[in-house]
Amino acid sequence: MKKVLLQSAVAAAISMSLMTTATAQESSALDIGRLALAGYGDVTYAYQPDMKDEEGNDIQNNVVARFVPIFLFQLSEKIHIEAELEFSTNAEGETETELEYANMHYFFNDNTIITAGKFLLPFGQFGANLHPSWINKAVSNPGIYGGHGGNGSLGGVTSIMNDTGINVANTWVLGDAGRIFTDFYAVSGPRQEEGDHGGGVEIESKNGDNNDSMAFGGRIAYAFLPEWEIGMSYYSGAYSDDGDLNYSAYNIDFNWVGSYSSVRGEIFGSTAETEGEEEGEEEGHGEEWVKDFDKSGWYIQGTWQARQLGKSWLNPVEFVVRYSDIESDFDGSIEHDFEEDGGKTGSRIYYGVNYWLEPSAVLKLGAESTSIENEEASHTSVPDDRIFLQLAFGF
Amino acid sequence: MKSIKFVFTIIVLTTSAFSIKAQHVNDPSLVAKGAKVYSENCARCHNARPAEEYSKKEWSVVIPHMRAKAHMTGKEALAVEAFLASTLTADVRNAEEYTKPNAPKKSGEELVTQFGCQGCHQIKGEGGKLGPALDGVVASKGESFVLKKLIDPKFNNAASAMPKYPMNKEDIKAIIGFLKE
Ligand code: HEC
Ligand code: HEC
Repeated sequence: MKKVLLQSAVAAAISMSLMTTATAQESSALDIGRLALAGYGDVTYAYQPDMKDEEGNDIQNNVVARFVPIFLFQLSEKIHIEAELEFSTNAEGETETELEYANMHYFFNDNTIITAGKFLLPFGQFGANLHPSWINKAVSNPGIYGGHGGNGSLGGVTSIMNDTGINVANTWVLGDAGRIFTDFYAVSGPRQEEGDHGGGVEIESKNGDNNDSMAFGGRIAYAFLPEWEIGMSYYSGAYSDDGDLNYSAYNIDFNWVGSYSSVRGEIFGSTAETEGEEEGEEEGHGEEWVKDFDKSGWYIQGTWQARQLGKSWLNPVEFVVRYSDIESDFDGSIEHDFEEDGGKTGSRIYYGVNYWLEPSAVLKLGAESTSIENEEASHTSVPDDRIFLQLAFGF
Repeated sequence: MKSIKFVFTIIVLTTSAFSIKAQHVNDPSLVAKGAKVYSENCARCHNARPAEEYSKKEWSVVIPHMRAKAHMTGKEALAVEAFLASTLTADVRNAEEYTKPNAPKKSGEELVTQFGCQGCHQIKGEGGKLGPALDGVVASKGESFVLKKLIDPKFNNAASAMPKYPMNKEDIKAIIGFLKE
């Protein structure tokens, strides 16, 4: 199934590319370069005097830094290659390196782009388009996204997803301002985390795939330029080693960007099938069960630039508020690793002031507070409040 | 096995693709369209990045990256490139007749069209909304403010998306004259 799909996608791409080479294109007004080095970085200080870990030890205030170079190559007008590496120090002072993406775009025609390799999945907006620190208006990530941003005690619905496979992107122009954007992809799919009961779902493709089935997904968005974009995403794939447990997720994102303010939000839900076994009555095995583990959340973020007041000293100042909320149907009845981090639900609010030094360099001061609703899911309940100071830059 | 297929795909696609030598386009309507596409797309996810941050060669590699992110069509990407090129090299001013000593001076209106100001600003009800409307700006903020803004858009706003244009004082005066009308 997987091989056939990949092969036919490749074959289709090749035959289509051969057909289009004959039609000449208008050429760029720029001098054609081959390589560009871009990227971003940040230094973040987190002040969290009340935070404790699961054993009740103090969690230190800490400083972490990231440097994320992006290598862009232009092989030809039709082919573009890009790779992003992330070098980061964590709270323990260790250095981590990660390949965020490495892929090739093939500009197949005026409105179709085929991407192959490892890429950020076009699922929602934040993961694919808004997470770089000079773009993200807050210091931390929305509560529905785990990883990469001091998520404290609130586990995300999932972490930012990148994976390996092929994506076909299309743009449909509807008049002057209307656009429909579509993305459809087939990727190697989620894995099962290590764990006693089989563990949770791991999306990021660190170690290759574990089963023979691929995951599929896509996003369809309607944009009314320049202010509006509303998108719907779906993702589904088998995650267990034997390939019979499924993980699926949906996302609805909306974005409004005005001259001085913006409002963005996402609704995000996921369902993971989990399996287990009833306690055996006598010695033999009990009955096996498969249950759906649902988790959902949403966030909304508003920003406002004080430039609107027309005072020049306020020109670089921007205010940010973000509210995130996560729910799950975990009630303690599933004896499963999901409860560890997947089971915690609650809400988080973030307030911030940003001071822009350049269009892509910003000093952010933020405060966030999290309340966990279902304390039975965590071993202890700890206050989860922190203050951040971050310098973020894109280059 | 997967990686072999990936490499194979690259090879086939590379050989089947083609590239054309760069060519300077001085088409003012393409520049104006590019300014519009730029102002409508390039601030959707992040602050718009002003043209002078990268060289023309670098932009030629960055734009395909952003074409994919922003879901721009190939034509839109070419228009944005023409806009960036025009603000980076004053291709408009470097046009052949301009270098001749007796070349006709451009009027304020022509310069405003050729630099794509209306991609981002409304003038007389026409134009984009990335920047504020410019009708009455000379009266309300003063001529010297507008002069400074055009010489260095970042002088009062470090995060300005407005490009720093390669214009001389004469051009700026002509533009101010036009904005006063
Ligand atoms: C859909 C969201 C989106 C849109 C629309 C968008 N960008 Fe970006 N841009 C990004 C992201 C995300 C990055 C960070 C790079 C990355 O993570 O791959 C970025 C990075 C950049 C960079 C830094 C260099 C680089 O390639 O990383 C420049 C310059 C840039 N964008 C210019 C533009 C321009 C010009 C436009 C309009 C044509 C544009 N962007 C439209 C999302 C977007
Ligand atoms: C890429 C978009 C863009 C283009 C093209 C552009 N500008 Fe701007 N401009 C802006 C933005 C955004 C602002 C507001 C932010 C700031 O103060 O920099 C601005 C501010 C201004 C202001 C100050 C207005 C005020 O009330 O403070 C003037 C004057 C101005 N632009 C004139 C021009 C002229 C003349 C041109 C053409 C030669 C031009 N701009 C082209 C984006 C643009």
